[in-house]
Amino acid sequence: MFSKLAVRNVRRSFRDYGVYLLTLTFGVCLFYTFNSIEGQGAMAYLAQKENSMVEPILMLIDIFSVFVAVVLACLILYANRFLLRRRKRELGTYLLLGLSQGQVSRLLFLETGVIGLASLILGLGLGVLASYGMSALTLSMFSMDVSGLLGLRFSLKAAGKTVLYFGLIFLLVMAFSGLQVSRAKLIDLMQGDRKNEELKQRPLGWAVVQFVLGVLCLVGAYAILLFFGMAVAVAVLPICVPMLALGTLGTLLIFKSLSGFVLKLAQSRPGFYYKNLNLFTLRQWISKVHTTYLSQTVICILLLLAIGITASSIGLNSTLESMTNSQAPFDISVQNQSADWSGPVDFDALLDEEHFDKALLAWKSDVTYYYNDPAVTGIEDASAAIRLSDYDDLMARLGKPAYAGELPRLLEGPDDVPATGGLGLVCVVVPDGMAQGLEVRRQVWSADYAGDKEETEEALIQILRPLQQEVSLHVSSRLSIYQDVMGSKILALFLGLYLGFTFLLAAAAVLALQQLSQAADNTGRYAILRRLGAEEKMTARSATQQVALAFLLPLGLALIHSLVGMKAANDLISAVGRVDSVQSSLVTVLMLVVVYGGYFLATALACRRMAK
Amino acid sequence: MKIPKPDIKEKIMEEMLKVTDLKRVYGKGGAVTRALDGVSLSLEAGEFVGVMGPSGSGKTTLLNCVSTIDKPDGGSIVIDGRELTGLRGKELAKFRRERLGFIFQDCNLLDTLTAGENIALALSIVKAPANEIPGRVDEMARLLGIEDCLNKYPYQMSGGQQQRAAAARAMVTHPALVLADEPTGALDSKSAKLLLDRLEVLNRDRGATILMVTHDAFTASCCHRVVFLRDGQIFLELRRGELDRRAFFQKIIRVVSELGGEMEDVL
Repeated sequence: MFSKLAVRNVRRSFRDYGVYLLTLTFGVCLFYTFNSIEGQGAMAYLAQKENSMVEPILMLIDIFSVFVAVVLACLILYANRFLLRRRKRELGTYLLLGLSQGQVSRLLFLETGVIGLASLILGLGLGVLASYGMSALTLSMFSMDVSGLLGLRFSLKAAGKTVLYFGLIFLLVMAFSGLQVSRAKLIDLMQGDRKNEELKQRPLGWAVVQFVLGVLCLVGAYAILLFFGMAVAVAVLPICVPMLALGTLGTLLIFKSLSGFVLKLAQSRPGFYYKNLNLFTLRQWISKVHTTYLSQTVICILLLLAIGITASSIGLNSTLESMTNSQAPFDISVQNQSADWSGPVDFDALLDEEHFDKALLAWKSDVTYYYNDPAVTGIEDASAAIRLSDYDDLMARLGKPAYAGELPRLLEGPDDVPATGGLGLVCVVVPDGMAQGLEVRRQVWSADYAGDKEETEEALIQILRPLQQEVSLHVSSRLSIYQDVMGSKILALFLGLYLGFTFLLAAAAVLALQQLSQAADNTGRYAILRRLGAEEKMTARSATQQVALAFLLPLGLALIHSLVGMKAANDLISAVGRVDSVQSSLVTVLMLVVVYGGYFLATALACRRMAK
Repeated sequence: MKIPKPDIKEKIMEEMLKVTDLKRVYGKGGAVTRALDGVSLSLEAGEFVGVMGPSGSGKTTLLNCVSTIDKPDGGSIVIDGRELTGLRGKELAKFRRERLGFIFQDCNLLDTLTAGENIALALSIVKAPANEIPGRVDEMARLLGIEDCLNKYPYQMSGGQQQRAAAARAMVTHPALVLADEPTGALDSKSAKLLLDRLEVLNRDRGATILMVTHDAFTASCCHRVVFLRDGQIFLELRRGELDRRAFFQKIIRVVSELGGEMEDVL
């Protein structure tokens, strides 16, 4: 009988449970997606290549999962408390009808179970889709051959872990609800309609002053950040602390005073103020301010973190990619480091001997480096010398012009001799003829592949391996460097997205619940408006506007904050490499629209229904 | 605004509200409650009519039907020449906001708005021109003696002031018919008297047509006419005629006490 009642309760109060279910489902989906990365997409690729980053990534995801679970648990408890408050009267009626507190607890227990089961199934289903999307995203970011790595997979391990964690959370929720019921007094439950908070009237002029102060604080914080740059502003405490303090204070003041400021403005424009229900909407907003400005500030900061972390973890990606390019100008470089005593290796002959198809190579070069002899070259500070013709060949391959200045010339900075993996030598360019008077120091054979990169490299390494018995070979390839970098990229990306989504989810869910409980308190006010003859369309629009104000203001301010932050971050990152801000902005925007937009829609629809 | 002269009132004498054979039935099958069982009632423009009766006599149902909040099962309601029973949805909301004004027992002011804004909101809803609104609010507040309260929130005002603000909100749109449900129910006698005085002034000087449901004989005594309801039917009607208020009050009290048992909860 109880299970029937529980299922019916859940179905009947689906409206209230909607946001709760949405939060649980998103939470489960998030948790599953990030715990299922093992063996999927780019992680599968890394594991295939026995990349050393695989273990640390999985371990960090594990650790972060605990943190995320704690955040989600708090969120779910908060949502549950909201639901219980809305159902006080119903629970009171059960008690009044003679159900014992134990029985009511059992009823709630079952309801939580039903909801939990539903959200687990929905969330895992969504999670399988989301992890497919994530594989596609990571694979596309690394521009790799995706055949075989992409596919719908269900990770039993991740699902088990998700069920375990959320099972624990649900148990916590059940215990919490039981405690609430057993501690509640019947009289409080029956007279559970919350009293309106007392409205404190403050002069509107004060709001204007606060608003201006808030704007000044923010301008100050932005100025510090942009003037000193991201690196200094974040790392140096005496600069960092005032900046954060000013930023937080400014945000707080703005949320506290904005409604009063707008009201003051609106009152001076009767055409706007007295139009439709604007007057009511504005007053509703201002009446909630002194209980919501703190949470709005926190939500704004959560959103800022979500946007900042997501955008910069994706932006960092592009930077790492450009770093790879500077470290690996050619597909492969083989350095014969014992050339000075064992003599140069004839790579051409070796490849022919092993029947290596030279058509697989788009370009190759064999360069000999000499010991720098100041007596010959006239330059003291170099450790090696390279012939002009060799140097020009390498530069030509990179699309740079031949050197046309005086010789010999010490190479510095961007003019340095290119080689994948780096030479570790300071070179001087000498005329070809002069090199004959120098001793051989090192031989570097570089090549670019024409065909399939992985197969070609595999074949080359097979051929080179026996040679390593005789000479000291140092092989670096773009692929291996790329994979090393990719490990760190994926780490940054996954952790960034994981945290970003969690913060976003938390912010959106808290806002949604706040708005829903306010809308429930507002039903009486809407009834008055309807009696005065306001059409359903009018009240529904006012309800939507109130939700929109609550959702869009923290988002708007967070976006402004993050634009300034991204500007500073870009200045820092672009000093190191190129930043692809379009891609990172797009992914961030997509994430915002899906999660935040989903919550906004769900809340606005529910509030509209309550206003009708 | 010009104050209409009393002789104009005599001239208009048109029917503002005409209720004919109104029926409202709750429940189905055997367990039927006839809340209204063929009520007919007519109000002329500028009339001030009270409805009395014990609990369950159908007073509130009558008011709800006239105010378009509830739908009758039979009969017709015509307000200012417009048949209500055929209206629905949007038309109904439009009619309600343009032709009717409401005063309730729990004054129903919005607690987030000041008194002045509460009154202004009613004008916003009927889409009155924005530049007229402050003037009309001030004027109505003066008439009801709450000009000092315009910038106060409901919780800063006394119950009587709140109820007068609610009356101002109901009247400010110049409705054809004002419906009042126990307007003095939650007030002390002094505040009640003040409110009734103001309603009489509005009725006399502005020609407002008022239909008021009440339990209280004193409140009813300020009406031109009192209608008694019992079991969904009108069983008695008292006209004030040339009587002063005190005498009319005595007359009402006599009816109430004669009906003693049946109307025990009137007093």
